[in-house]
Amino acid sequence: MFIRRRTLLAASAATAIAPPALAQNYPRRAVQLVVAFPAGGSTDVGARILAGLAEKDFGQPITVVNKGGAGGQIGFTEIARARPDGYTLGFLNLPGMNTITLDPERKAVFTIDSFIPIVNQVLDPGFIWVKGDSPYKTLAELTDAAKKNPGKISACTTGILSDDHLAILMVQEATGAEFRIVHFDGGAQQLTGVLGGHVDVAFDNVGSVFKRVGTEIRGLAVTDVVRSKFLPQVPCTKELGLTTVISSSTRGVGAPKGTPADICKVVETAFLKAINSPEMKEKMDAVGLALKPMVGAEYAKYYTDLQAQAKKYTEWALKMR
Amino acid sequence: MRQGRLIATGAMLAFCLFALWQSLLLSLTDRLGPGPGFFPFWLALIGAALSVALLFTTFREAADPADAETRIMPHGAGGKRWLAIVALLAALTMVMEFTGFRIAMLAFNVALVVALGERRWWIIAVFAVLGSYGVYYVFTTWLDVLLPVGRIGF
Amino acid sequence: MESLSHLLSGFAAALSWYYLAYALAGCVLGTLIGVLPGLGPAAGTAILIPLTFNLDATGAIIMLSAIYYGAMYGGTITSVLINVPGEAASVVTCIDGHAMARQGRAGSALGIAAIGSFVGGVLATVALVVVAMPLATLALKFGPAEFFALMVAGLCLVVGLAGKNIVAALLMTVIGLLFAMIGLDPVRGAPRFTFGMEELFDGIGFVPVVMGLFGVAELLLAAEKRQARMIEAELKNWLPTGQEVRDCVGPIGRGTVVGFVLGLIPGVGAIVPTFMAYVIEKRVSKTPERFGKGAIEGVASAETANNAYANAAMVPLLALGIPSSPTIAVLMGAFIINGITPGPFLFQEQPALVWTVIASFFVGNALLLILNLPLVGLWAKLLKIPFSYMCVGVLIFCVIGAYGLKQSLFDVWVMLGFGIIGYLLRKLDFPIAPAILALILGPMMEKSLRTTLEISGGSFAIFLDRPVALALLAIPVIVIAFLLFKPRSLDKLRESDID
Repeated sequence: MFIRRRTLLAASAATAIAPPALAQNYPRRAVQLVVAFPAGGSTDVGARILAGLAEKDFGQPITVVNKGGAGGQIGFTEIARARPDGYTLGFLNLPGMNTITLDPERKAVFTIDSFIPIVNQVLDPGFIWVKGDSPYKTLAELTDAAKKNPGKISACTTGILSDDHLAILMVQEATGAEFRIVHFDGGAQQLTGVLGGHVDVAFDNVGSVFKRVGTEIRGLAVTDVVRSKFLPQVPCTKELGLTTVISSSTRGVGAPKGTPADICKVVETAFLKAINSPEMKEKMDAVGLALKPMVGAEYAKYYTDLQAQAKKYTEWALKMR
Repeated sequence: MRQGRLIATGAMLAFCLFALWQSLLLSLTDRLGPGPGFFPFWLALIGAALSVALLFTTFREAADPADAETRIMPHGAGGKRWLAIVALLAALTMVMEFTGFRIAMLAFNVALVVALGERRWWIIAVFAVLGSYGVYYVFTTWLDVLLPVGRIGF
Repeated sequence: MESLSHLLSGFAAALSWYYLAYALAGCVLGTLIGVLPGLGPAAGTAILIPLTFNLDATGAIIMLSAIYYGAMYGGTITSVLINVPGEAASVVTCIDGHAMARQGRAGSALGIAAIGSFVGGVLATVALVVVAMPLATLALKFGPAEFFALMVAGLCLVVGLAGKNIVAALLMTVIGLLFAMIGLDPVRGAPRFTFGMEELFDGIGFVPVVMGLFGVAELLLAAEKRQARMIEAELKNWLPTGQEVRDCVGPIGRGTVVGFVLGLIPGVGAIVPTFMAYVIEKRVSKTPERFGKGAIEGVASAETANNAYANAAMVPLLALGIPSSPTIAVLMGAFIINGITPGPFLFQEQPALVWTVIASFFVGNALLLILNLPLVGLWAKLLKIPFSYMCVGVLIFCVIGAYGLKQSLFDVWVMLGFGIIGYLLRKLDFPIAPAILALILGPMMEKSLRTTLEISGGSFAIFLDRPVALALLAIPVIVIAFLLFKPRSLDKLRESDID
């Protein structure tokens, strides 16, 4: 498309001409934080809270820009293509980003190397739940039933190739169960689907529904190595013996490849401070999002490890379609 | 008018045939039933049939004498205005991200308001300033809508 | 009745100066947002969320809800005056509302819209009070299969929109459906018909298309005719005449029912009830040929349904915690940020809050009416502005609207392109409304069919098990049969032409 090429050319020309931004001079004006999901969703909510708190120390406004669509692909493309001058940052959703790069039909123009992960904010573990009056009281009961009746028990996700989708595959691999997989478009539809009795079990995340667990919703498991502090009564998959079923949705701040390291450091410091602040904790607790700040080597390792895990299950999912 | 309708229907037929071709490139069935190409294929087929039917009925319509006077494409002084709007909008869209919203809009405002007949310089000036910088300020500062800033930085 | 006493104390709280002021501010801001084409209630509401951080929870909700249905009305103003739908659902109002404005009856159009919105909103809220929980739970039974059937039934309404030329209308519908297929397909989640352009991954962008087809096309048509003003006819009256109001009693009543019922079903979206109410009105009318040329009943029913829907959509939100549309999802996000979790426990855990909010819906709807009726004259005066100024102004806002959605220049091109297409279609007498309906319903229809098949494991027999879905599917069959085999009663419908 001539427009894109023009912009890319202009961008590279400009970067060549303009002097590299020095960290002492950064930030000199407002910074954009691109969120690849629509306004109001849980990613967006977390991002806005973070931006609001980080602004104070950052010294310049951090404007959240929503570029939703195509499961995040539009926004991630935007971030990957942005000028690496530190004035465009991105909110990275994993494994959403990973599965997009691994699906050849999506023809993503970015890879996971197109981004520099700076600091992680949230780690929202997967959560398997059923309707309150469902016959399945434990995860084992569910998987046994699914093993005995392959393809008859329906399990739903919030999207094709979402972390929920991968989690179902992990469970199938670990237990031999076989579900009938149904893909909804987001959490609202999933709620309607399971609470309305149309689908048997939901693979979701803790943050979306933790407050409703009780009589309305029965939690079967949290796909993590520890129990979620928001759902202390729900067992985690590790303690249930399903050690390979570890799945979560993580969101953090990153920058396009090529952003100078000293600028990334400034970003890291400001955002990390915001993440560790008591107001952040309070606001995140209210929405059920577990904070897991990760920086530097730890985040980078998590980033690449996740890609390997995502690759395995994404390829399986792709084979199924 | 009848000629115009024929051309338009012909264009729709071409569109449907194109869609038909494209949908054949996708799989029509899937393990669960309709594949990604299924609906587009049948729709394109029905669309093509409908366009052909419409071509026939339009053809057979008695030519309306009043029709001869209405011309589809814009013409005359009104046509110039029409062209001005389209051309200026296109120009605006082409340069907006390069020059930034404000400069592009400034030019657009001035050009369009003149093309539509305005000659008083002070009104042109008001439009130029309010329509570009004024609007930019309101939308970016109060409403948080991001408008292009452009390579030049304006 | 316990609810009643809660409601009364809710009123007492809602009518305090404090909350009243917030409701008023919300209505004003919401209307302004609705007026700005393309900004959209979802984006607009999201932008205003920070304003509410300093308010207490109740105040925040009251204000945000007021913004929400205020935005619905704001969309009407631009639809009537300049044929630019302020937000997606206002498309239907453009059809007859702008035609009325061209005849100098903008005052009547805007006025009846305000009145209808008020009635629809209030009645929907009353129904909400009486039957929120049981209805909400019932609405949950509406699954993907029923949804699919509803969409199909909705598409068959196209036949009701068709005028003389059914073939042309059907062709436009098919073309609309084909355009709707652009994007990520629901089967594989892979791009379809996108030719490598990521901008198309989410489909062709409804808002730019509609702004082009209606708004830009209107400007082009007016420019060509060398009109001195946007609307040449003199404004006849500032408010609807008594006769006009009487004529609209039926449409308002029917619109309320349609809007309310569909508002209970999560995920329907505002356009479906507006279109349905409009088409029902046209079918029921003794003079359907007036529709499309300025039938006030069309405006009344669409607007009432729109507002009834908006208020009814609060039911799944408050009672079940399920947002019906992106805008409501934003509202829900705002609620959550402010520490309120919508859901079944909301009524039990925070009854004072919920009932105050519900009471504020009544108050808000009344405020909207009080605010907007007198302003109708003012808005209509805007039409006296010379065309050149109007044209430039509208185009600026349209460009911002199209661009601002996703910071995408592509969307502006789409708007321009469809502006030209809309111009040609109008001149050549092709009906646009069926294509719009198809563009909206198409993706929902395909996706819900896909989900239904995923649930049933590929078996179509699932439809046989679900009476509601079957009943809904029977409607199109009946409609088509009616059309094919009873030509006489259709002559009147045939004479009328939409668009």
